[in-house]
Amino acid sequence: MNTEIVKIQGQDSKTEEMILNLGPQHPSTHGVLRVILKMDGEVITSAQPDVGYLHRGTEKLAENRTYPQMLVISDRWDYLAAMSNNLVWSLAVEKLMQIEVPARGQILRVIMVELNRIASHLVFFGTYGIDIGAYTPFLYAFREREKILDLFEEVSGARMTYNYIRIGGVMADLPKDWIGRCRSFLEWMKPRFVEYDTLLTENPIFQDRTKNIGILPQPLAISYGISGPNLRGSSNPFDLRKDAPYCLYDKFNFSIPTGKNGDCWDRYWVRIEEMKESVKIIEQALEMLPEGECNAKVPRIIRPPIGEVYAQIEAPRGMLGIYLVSDGGDKPYRVHVRPPSFINLAVLQEILVGMKVADVIAILGSIDIVLGEVDR
Amino acid sequence: MILPVWNESQKRSALILFGIASAGAGISIAIGEIGARFSKIWACLSSFALKNSIPTALLTPLSMIIQCSILIGFISVSVMFMVWWERKVSAHMQNRLGPMFTGGWHGWAQTIADAIKLLLKEDIIPAEANPWVHRLAPIVAFVPAFLCYAALPFGEGLISADLDIGILYIFAISGLSVLGIVMAGWGSGNKYSLLGGLRAAAQSVSYEIPRVLSVVPILMMVGSLKLTSIANVQTGFWQIAGIPVLPKWFIFYPIVGQIAFLIFLISSVAETNRTPFDIAEAESELVAGFHTEYSGMKFSFFFLAEYAYVFLSSGLTTVLFLGGGSGPILPSWSWFLLKSFAVVFLFLWFRWTFPRLRVDRLMEFTWKFLLPWSFVNILITGFILLF
Amino acid sequence: MFNYFKTIYKVGKALIQGMMVTWKSFWQPAVTVQFPDEKLNTPERFRGALTFDKETCTACNLCIKACPTACISLEPAVDPATKKRIAKVSWYQIDFGKCNYCRLCEEACPTKPIKSVRHTHQYEWGMLERKEMLVKWERMIPSTEPLTSTNMKPI
Repeated sequence: MNTEIVKIQGQDSKTEEMILNLGPQHPSTHGVLRVILKMDGEVITSAQPDVGYLHRGTEKLAENRTYPQMLVISDRWDYLAAMSNNLVWSLAVEKLMQIEVPARGQILRVIMVELNRIASHLVFFGTYGIDIGAYTPFLYAFREREKILDLFEEVSGARMTYNYIRIGGVMADLPKDWIGRCRSFLEWMKPRFVEYDTLLTENPIFQDRTKNIGILPQPLAISYGISGPNLRGSSNPFDLRKDAPYCLYDKFNFSIPTGKNGDCWDRYWVRIEEMKESVKIIEQALEMLPEGECNAKVPRIIRPPIGEVYAQIEAPRGMLGIYLVSDGGDKPYRVHVRPPSFINLAVLQEILVGMKVADVIAILGSIDIVLGEVDR
Repeated sequence: MILPVWNESQKRSALILFGIASAGAGISIAIGEIGARFSKIWACLSSFALKNSIPTALLTPLSMIIQCSILIGFISVSVMFMVWWERKVSAHMQNRLGPMFTGGWHGWAQTIADAIKLLLKEDIIPAEANPWVHRLAPIVAFVPAFLCYAALPFGEGLISADLDIGILYIFAISGLSVLGIVMAGWGSGNKYSLLGGLRAAAQSVSYEIPRVLSVVPILMMVGSLKLTSIANVQTGFWQIAGIPVLPKWFIFYPIVGQIAFLIFLISSVAETNRTPFDIAEAESELVAGFHTEYSGMKFSFFFLAEYAYVFLSSGLTTVLFLGGGSGPILPSWSWFLLKSFAVVFLFLWFRWTFPRLRVDRLMEFTWKFLLPWSFVNILITGFILLF
Repeated sequence: MFNYFKTIYKVGKALIQGMMVTWKSFWQPAVTVQFPDEKLNTPERFRGALTFDKETCTACNLCIKACPTACISLEPAVDPATKKRIAKVSWYQIDFGKCNYCRLCEEACPTKPIKSVRHTHQYEWGMLERKEMLVKWERMIPSTEPLTSTNMKPI
C-alpha cells in the first residue's frame, strides 16, 4: 500500500491510499466484474479490471462440439444479443464451406440482428439509467424489450438463447402475421424514443453526470482496439455494416451516428441514435423481404474443408469476430472469438484514472459490457 | 391535462378508494369529536387528581407516556403506509402494479409482512465492525426523528409540546441524525459504508443551511418561531371583491413564497437522503452506502428513520407553506394528513423520475445556487415588509 | 445575467417535462401480467420442457448425436426371442439439468409426422433435488405395452 507522509501544521500525518474492490458482487458491474480501484479520497489513482469470474471455456468447448451444436453455445457469449453470435458463427462456417444463403434468409437475418440490436441497446439504456440513479427508464426499456422478445419467441421459440440463425440460413421461416406484428411494434417504438429523450437524455442532471466524463480520445480508442458504439462515440464512423458489408447490408439506406467528444454522453447518444437507425433498417428489410426459400442446401453432417477463416460482424457492442480452423472433421480444430466487450473493457484502466467513484459507475456503464462475452 | 383512461379493475379500485376515503372522512370526523371528549376526560382526571391531592408529578409522566405511545404508533403506521404507497406509486409510474397478493386488495399487507420478516432476520455484526458504534448507530439515527415529532402540530391543538421555538427545535434535533449515519458508516468497517457516511455528513451539513434560511422569510412575516402560530396565520382566504380566491397559505405569497417553498422542498429532499440526492445510499455506486452492513431490525430502524424524516419534512412543509390544518368541513388533523401526504407524493414523484446528482455537483448546487437565492429571498421579504 | 435565468428556466422546464412522462404513465394501465393468476399464451414454436413419445421412437441415436450437452441417453430394446436389437427403446433418459432447450434433438429426430422427442409448452417446472432432473422413461419388456414415464410429471 502506498503510504506517504504529509506535513500538516508541522505534524507528521499519514495518508493512505484506499483500495476498493468494485465487485465481483456489486450492483453496477453488470455481472461479475471486479475492478480494483486505488483511491485517494474519492478520486481514483489507479484502476485494474479483473475478469474471468464467468469463464466457461467456450473456445475449448467448441473443439468437442459439431458446428451446429456450437451455435447453441454461441448463444451464451453475449446473451443480450444472441442473434449476433449465431450470425457470426454461421457466417464463419458458411465462408469456410462457401455456402450462399438465399436472399430471403439474408434479409431475415438482418431483421433479427437489428431487432436484437434494439433490444440490446434498450438494456443498455435501462441499466445506464440505473447506474446514474434513475430507476424508471429501466422499466420502460424492459417494457419495450419484452415486445421484441415476444417477436423472437414467436419466431424461434426462445426469449434469450434463440439458436435461430443457423448454418445455411435460419431455423424456420417467419410464422403467420409476424411481419404485421413487427411493423406494429416499430410504429409503437418510434414515439418511445421521444419519451426516452424527455425522461433521460434531456434531463439536466443526467447530462451533468455524463457530459465531459470519461473522455475517450480517438487515438486512444484506436490503439486499444475499441469498436462499436464506443468508438463511434469518439467520432470515428467505423461500422462493419458500412465498411465491410455482410448479409446485404450494402442494400440498406442508413446512417452511422457519431459522437463529438467521446464522453459518456456521446456513447449513450450514439446508442440511442443507433436504435432509431435500426428501426429504419428493419422497415426497409420488411419492405424488400423477397419470397422464396430462406435456407441454402446444407449437408446433413457439416464437414467443412480443411482451412481457416475469419468472419466478423458489427454486433451491438462492437466488432465480433470468429477465427475458425477446420481440420476437415465435423468438429472445429480451433476457435477463437474476438469479443468486443472484452477488448472495450481494457480501456477502463486508462480512462478511470482521475475520476470520482460516482463517475466510475457512469463510465463503466457507458462502455456497456456483457460479462458473458468478456469471460466467455 | 391528461385524463386517465380507466379499465375495469381500475374502476373497481377507484370505487374502493372512494369508499375508503369516505369511510376515512367519517371516521376522522368521529375521532375528532372523540378527541374533544378525550381532552375533557383528561381535564376531569387531572382535576380529580388535584382534589384528592395526588401529586401532578405522577400525572405528567403518565400523560407523556400516553403521548409518546400515540406518536410512536403514528410513526410506525404512517411509515408502513408510506412504504406500501411508495411501492405502489413507483410501480404505477413504471407501468407495473407492485405488490398485489399479500393481504388481498392491492397487497395492502405487504409492509406488515416485510416488517415481520425484518424482525425475524438474523442480526449480523461484521467482524471488522466496531460493535458498539455499529449497534448504537441505528438508534442515534432514529431517536432524533422521533423527538422532532414532539413539536409537530398535527392540527389544531394536536401537538405534544407546543414550544415557543418549535421550528428551531425541529431543525436542531433533526440535524443530530447525521451523527447516526456517520457512526453507521464508520462503525461498519466497510469501505462503501465509510464513503456513504462521509457523503451523508457533508450533504446534511450543507443542505441544513439553505433549508433553515428558506424559512426565515416566514419567520419575518409571522414574527414567531412557534409552529402553531405560523399555522394559524395562514387560515382564511384572500378575497377579491368579497369572493375568496386563494387560501392565505404562505406558498401563495407572491414570489417570496414560491422561492422559499422550492428551496425548502429541494433541501428537504436532500436532507432525507432521497433521490435525486441519495448519494449517501447510492445503490448503484456504494451498494447501499451507510447501511450496507445492516440487517434485520437495525436496518429497519434506518428505514424507519428515513421515512419518519420524509413525513416530518412533508409535515413541516404543510405547516410552513400549506396552511397546516386549515381547511373546510374535515377536522384539521385530516387536512394536515392530506396535505402532508400530497407532499410525500411529490417526494416519491421526484424519486422515481430523476437520476442522482454527483457529489461535487450536489455541493455546488447548494452553496452556489440554493444559498444565494435564499439570501435574495430574505432580502426581498425585507423590502416587502419595509414598504 | 440573462443567460443565468435562461439556464434556470431550461433546467426547470426539462425537469418538469421529465416529471410529466412519469405522470402520464402513472395513469396508464399496467403492462405486466399477474403471473399465477394470469398467464400468457405461448407461441406455437415455444421451446418448453422436452417430452418423449413412447411408441414411435426407433432408438436411432440421432438425438444423442445432435445434443450439444449430451443430456440424452437411451438403450435400444432387445428382442428376448432372437437376442437382437429391435427399433424400440428399452429406456430413454433426459437430464434436464443439462438440457439447453435448443431444439436440435427435435430437429434431428427422424420419426414422422410427430417427432418422438419434442418440445412441449410446459415452462412451469421446478425441481427440489438434482436427481429429480434426471427424467427416465422405461419400457417394461419389449411388447405392445405402452411406455410409461416413471417420474415425469404430467405434461
